[in-house]
Amino acid sequence: MRMRVSLDLELKDEPGQLLLALEPISKYGGNVISIIHLREEEKLRAGRVPVHFTIDVPDEESLERMVRELEERGVRVTKLGEVTKKERITLLMIGHVVDTDLRDTIDRINELEGVMVSDLSLAMPHPEKESSAIVDIEVSATVDKRKVMERVYHIAREKDLEIVRSLEV
Amino acid sequence: MRLQIIGFGVIGQGLAEVLLRKREELRERHGLELKVVSITDISGTAVAEEGIDLEKAIEVARETGAIVNYPGAREMSGVEAIEEVEAELVVEATPSNIKTGEPGLSHMLASFKAGKHVVTSNKGPLALRYRELVTEAERNGVEFRFEASVGGAMPVINLARETLSGDRITAIEGILNGTTNYILSRMTREGLGFEQVLREAQELGYAETDPSYDIEGIDTASKLVILANAIMGIDATFGDVKIRGITRITPEAIRLAKERGYVIKLIGEVRDSHLEVSPRLIPETHPLNVDGALNVAMLHCDVAGEITVVGKGAGAIETQSAILSDIIAIGKKVKG
Repeated sequence: MRMRVSLDLELKDEPGQLLLALEPISKYGGNVISIIHLREEEKLRAGRVPVHFTIDVPDEESLERMVRELEERGVRVTKLGEVTKKERITLLMIGHVVDTDLRDTIDRINELEGVMVSDLSLAMPHPEKESSAIVDIEVSATVDKRKVMERVYHIAREKDLEIVRSLEV
Repeated sequence: MRLQIIGFGVIGQGLAEVLLRKREELRERHGLELKVVSITDISGTAVAEEGIDLEKAIEVARETGAIVNYPGAREMSGVEAIEEVEAELVVEATPSNIKTGEPGLSHMLASFKAGKHVVTSNKGPLALRYRELVTEAERNGVEFRFEASVGGAMPVINLARETLSGDRITAIEGILNGTTNYILSRMTREGLGFEQVLREAQELGYAETDPSYDIEGIDTASKLVILANAIMGIDATFGDVKIRGITRITPEAIRLAKERGYVIKLIGEVRDSHLEVSPRLIPETHPLNVDGALNVAMLHCDVAGEITVVGKGAGAIETQSAILSDIIAIGKKVKG
C-alpha cells in the first residue's frame, strides 16, 4: 500500500547533487510531494546542505531499495519516518456546553490515541440559554472515526448535548 | 383501465383534478383510457360503472367534506369497495399512519387479494410492512408501485429501479421532508429561532398543527425505510432507523456552522445497512444543499458514481406526477 514518508537528506554543496538524490526516488516509484532546502542550517553541517523531502512511495520494499541506493551514491539519509496523515471531523455541540465542563469534554476526546481537538468556537447567546460550539477534531488516518464518534456520543448522552456531525463522518 | 380511488383528501382530489386535465393527453400519448369507477372517503363510497363525474366529485368533496353526498353514494367502506366494485387498479391515498399502517394496510392487502394493482402515496404501510406487501402483490400477480410515497414529485424509486437498473446503489443520502428543510432554510437566512419559524410555517400551512411527525424526523425515517427496501434491497422497517429531529437546532449553531462554510440539514442516510435520520453539517457547495421546501436525494451508484435529484417533495398537484407515472407504467404493462 502506498505510504507517505518524510525523508531528511544531506547533500554536498556541489552542482548536480539534487539530481543525484532525485534519481533513486523516481526509479523506485516515489512521488515527491514537497522539497525544502534548509540553507540556513548549512553552516552547522560543514559544507553539507540538509534537504527535507516529503514523498509518496509504493510500499516498504521500494523505500528500502531507494534508501540503499541513495547511500550508495553518497547521499546521507539523516532521518526517515512515516508521515501519519491526519483527517478531520467537524461537529457541532448544542446544549449546556460550558456548564457541563467543556474542559472535561475536550480532555475525554483527547484521551483517545491519535485524536486531538484542534479548534473550537463558542457561541453563548445568554448565560441561562443553551450554547453551541463548533469543534474540529484531528484524527490520525489509522484511527477509526466511528470509534471517535462513539466517544463523542457517549459524552453527549451523559451531558445532554445535541451533536450535529458533518456528512462524511 | 378502471380505477378506484381510496382516500379523497388533498392527494385523492389532486389526482381527480389532474385526470380531468390530462384525459386527452393520456389517450393520445399513451393510448390509455382511464375511468374512475369508485371514490371512497371516510364517509362512504361513490360508485359509477360508466365512470364518476370527477368535476362533480371534487365539488361535493370541497363543499360538504364527504363523498357520501355524491348522487347515489352509499355508506360503503374502502375494503368493501375494493371487494365489490369491478376495477383493475386501486389508488390508495388515505393519510399515512406510522403506528398501525391503517387503514392503508388493509386496503392494499384487500386489493392484492382481489387481484387489483395498487398505486399509493401512503408511506405508513410500506415503512412498517414492506416485505409482506411486496410478497403479497407478487403472490397475487399484481403490480404494486409507490413512487409518490417518497419525495412527492421528485423521482427517486423508479429512477433507481428502472433508469439506473444496471447500477447497484451502495448508499443514499437526502433531504426527504420539505417542512424541516423550509424551517432550517428560514432559520439560516433570517437568523430566527426554531419556535418562531415553526409557528410561521404552521400559519402558512407548510407545517401541521401537530408538527412532531416532521420535526422529529419520523416522516423522513418512513421514507428512508422505503428507499432502503425498494432501492437497496435492505430488509428494514421503521424500528430499525436511528432518529434525531431538528428541535434542538439553534440560530447560534447555524451561525457557527455558516462561519465555517456549512449549513445544517435534516438528512436521511442509508449506508452499510445502517439507517439514520439526523441533522448534519453539509458544505455550502455540496449538491445536497438545496433551499426552501425542496427535497433532494443523492444516490451513490457503483457504475454511474453519484446521481442527485431535486424536486418538490409535496403538493396536491406536484405529487400527481409520481402517481400518474405509476398508473401509466401499469397501464402499459397490462396492455402488453
